[in-house]
Amino acid sequence: MDRPEESRWRPPRVCEDYWTEFRHCKSLRNRFHHYYTYGAMPSCQQWNEDHNNCKQWEMHRSPEAKEALQKSERNRVAEQKNFTPVWQLRQEPPRDWHMPLNQEKPQDS
Amino acid sequence: MRTFPNYTMDQTKQEEECGGLCALGPYAKLLLGAMKNSGCKVFKERHFSCEDCSGTVSGGFDAASSQIVLCQNNIHQQSHMNRVVTHELIHSFDHCRAHVDWFNNLRHLACSEIRAANLSGDCSFINEVSRLNFGLKEHHQECVRGRALRSILAVRKISREEAEKIVDEVFDSCFNDHAPFGRIPHSKEDAKFAYRDYMNKDRYYANL
Repeated sequence: MDRPEESRWRPPRVCEDYWTEFRHCKSLRNRFHHYYTYGAMPSCQQWNEDHNNCKQWEMHRSPEAKEALQKSERNRVAEQKNFTPVWQLRQEPPRDWHMPLNQEKPQDS
Repeated sequence: MRTFPNYTMDQTKQEEECGGLCALGPYAKLLLGAMKNSGCKVFKERHFSCEDCSGTVSGGFDAASSQIVLCQNNIHQQSHMNRVVTHELIHSFDHCRAHVDWFNNLRHLACSEIRAANLSGDCSFINEVSRLNFGLKEHHQECVRGRALRSILAVRKISREEAEKIVDEVFDSCFNDHAPFGRIPHSKEDAKFAYRDYMNKDRYYANL
């Protein structure tokens, strides 16, 4: 059962994307934006590690590399969700999104 | 809006996907894709309205009619229009994906304004300098607070103190909500990286 799943798995991103993210993170422009936003320099090393692990998986199918990569990306997802939402998310879009405009109704401001 | 003659087949298909709005740049492209995925495909003719507006307002989102209003008398440059459209699309995106009570819940209104100021490029260093607001360390956050406050006071009859209190209450949560970008896009380059991530999301989540 493990073998087919393992053969189906691939890194969440193509390996080159990790490299371009690493380069982008370290760029002068990004460091400036990060300081402008957070008052500190960005931490970029994780992108480099992810790129290395991605290449390890590509070349050697290393299970340690796969696990490290998955852990890193799950951390990223968790960081993006690290806030308590102010509102409740919808299960369906608003019903009137596509309804035609009623030209006779007065415009509400 | 700008038009591009001499499309290739791929570009034509992309334009169909964006409803003819791709020319508005990578921020808008990502938002339009995210909205389509959430069941709120945007149609130029239905969801945009160009009007003359009073004062210096550049645009707005009318939840009652599901329309983005662009103030044609106050927008004179393409870059400004791109930014206004991005800002209003963020409100539309919030309306599409969440139960936002625009009219009765000031926290909801404040949250969407914080997000729009944060993620649209409104508070870029260059834009702030052009407004003669010179700040560097963490100035982006200061700008987001200030612009969210301004937007709330423009549409609601409440005191500045009350508006500040509401912005303070929701700031941490809403400043850290970067959907659908996954990051704060400070530049077109950031927005392109975010768009790349967005287009890759199926593979991404399938292999976590």
